[in-house]
Amino acid sequence: MKHITVIIASILFSTLFYDQKIGLNLSIFSVVCIITLMISNINKFKNKTTIFHTIIYLHTAVLVFFQHTSLSILANILAFITLLGSVSESRSSIYVQWYNGLFTSIAGYFHRIFYSKDAQKKQIKKDVDVLHLAKLIGVPLVFMIVFIVLYKNGNPIFNDLISKINLSFINLKWILFTVLGYFLFSNIFNPVQIELATNKDLQTGNILHQTELFSTDILAKEKQLGTVLLFFLNILIVFYLTTDIISLKTINWSEAHVVSSQVHNGINALIASIAIAIIIILYFFRGNLNFYEENKILKNLAYVWIILNVLLVILITLKNYNYIISFGLTYKRIGVKIYLFLTLAGLITTFLKVSKVKNLWFLFRVNTQIAFVLLVVLSIINWDYSITKYNINHAQSLDLDYLITLSENNAELLNEYRKANNLSSNQNKKIITKYQDYLKDVNDRNWQEYTYSNFELKAITKTSRNHEYTK
Amino acid sequence: MNILSNIGRSSLLAAFLFWIINLAHDFNFDYFPYIFLSLIPIYLCCAIVILFTICPIYWFSVSELFNKQQIFKTYFPIYAIIMFVLCSYGIFKAQTSIFAISFFVSAYITTLHSWVWFAKPKKLNDQTTYST
Repeated sequence: MKHITVIIASILFSTLFYDQKIGLNLSIFSVVCIITLMISNINKFKNKTTIFHTIIYLHTAVLVFFQHTSLSILANILAFITLLGSVSESRSSIYVQWYNGLFTSIAGYFHRIFYSKDAQKKQIKKDVDVLHLAKLIGVPLVFMIVFIVLYKNGNPIFNDLISKINLSFINLKWILFTVLGYFLFSNIFNPVQIELATNKDLQTGNILHQTELFSTDILAKEKQLGTVLLFFLNILIVFYLTTDIISLKTINWSEAHVVSSQVHNGINALIASIAIAIIIILYFFRGNLNFYEENKILKNLAYVWIILNVLLVILITLKNYNYIISFGLTYKRIGVKIYLFLTLAGLITTFLKVSKVKNLWFLFRVNTQIAFVLLVVLSIINWDYSITKYNINHAQSLDLDYLITLSENNAELLNEYRKANNLSSNQNKKIITKYQDYLKDVNDRNWQEYTYSNFELKAITKTSRNHEYTK
Repeated sequence: MNILSNIGRSSLLAAFLFWIINLAHDFNFDYFPYIFLSLIPIYLCCAIVILFTICPIYWFSVSELFNKQQIFKTYFPIYAIIMFVLCSYGIFKAQTSIFAISFFVSAYITTLHSWVWFAKPKKLNDQTTYST
């Protein structure tokens, strides 16, 4: 059963991907993977976590077809690895699932060779026959080829005859590609798990426990150091925030380079500040200080510092928001927004870690889950299209050259804008070239490479033809 | 661990993979003499990679409490992922060069197989047990 399923899947793999670009094939491949995994691990698909990851994987597969963005492809690959990890061990943390999933997809075959005891015994019995068969075919074949090469140079008639042998009907590349598919599907057929990492993860909870090395003297000194440090850092950040608010009022939002440097400097400060803030908090609350009775002042100072860092995030968000209103969206500005969101999530989880006495693993688990969900959510949006639409309709100052450099996903929108406005001849030319390239790319696609834009373009062409007829 | 035997087997596997990919791209009878000649550099490459990246892990880690199977379980996943990343990067960088693609694919599969050959017991009647 396993071999038949894997062979069928690998032939489908070649049919979908051999000499093709990404499109509908990746969406179909996702469905094939899920079916293959279900055939071999049907019981695992009764688990809620695995069902959830299957839905996410299917969701990203649909997005690849509809949005066809790099982000949706990346989300699809990560969802595939997560699903494999979930089938391997659904109770483990998401980063261990990634580890298991990646390992399964790239080296599951080797792991299985090493682990299977029964298969080894059977294989040793089989090996005699297989080896003999290999010798029976391989040795004569090798010598035949060697002698053919030697005789070719000795006799022109023999050389002509050999040269006429046409093996072009055998597509060796296609066969090798199918073997690659076979390797991939035999890897994922029964997802494997890295025992050490998985067991360690399953044994580690989220709650911090008091250790035997509880010394009041050492903890009192540590608390003193932490209190002094956090007190002065709080004063410093208050001072920084005050000056930042004052400077916010003085910025001239019409000057792009000034705002740009302000926002980017703010972000750099934020990166350093948040990273150091979290490391310091984690250092002081790494162990027994959490259980020390007189730690209230230190805890309160940590909370205040987290809140002040949240304020810093809000200030940077405000600057970024004003920047976007004035000059429109770009990938960098969206990246800043994402970074700010992740920073906020990091600060909130650090707050929870301190207040609920959680360990470091809690932070890793929650934050990696947040990052994964965020990636899936962000892949829903066709960013090139959205950036172009927003900038054309809302930006006070439009950078058309930047929009032209984006992917083909905005070609249609730019072409419409070109028709409606008087642009410079250079920009006009660039947009026309981009739109023509887009049309050629979409029309030249094979069925494996189809995306939603193929059907959309057909509908548009049909409508425009109808209009021509009615005219 | 028989290093020479491992390098020998790895070289044959690497040569097979390397040439099957190259011949699939461009089949020509004239290449066949080169297949035999290529065994020398392939053997050297395999020897260098195995001696410098796999053997030290076994040499420095093996002890009475930490046998070859446990070393495999601990370090093989990390090694496999690092090799995958490096070879994928190599293939990505040399997108159109079939030589580079065949080199990295054969390097990846051969090194992983070499790990299994090192860690697995040699004979059927070998009493080594697996602690799965």
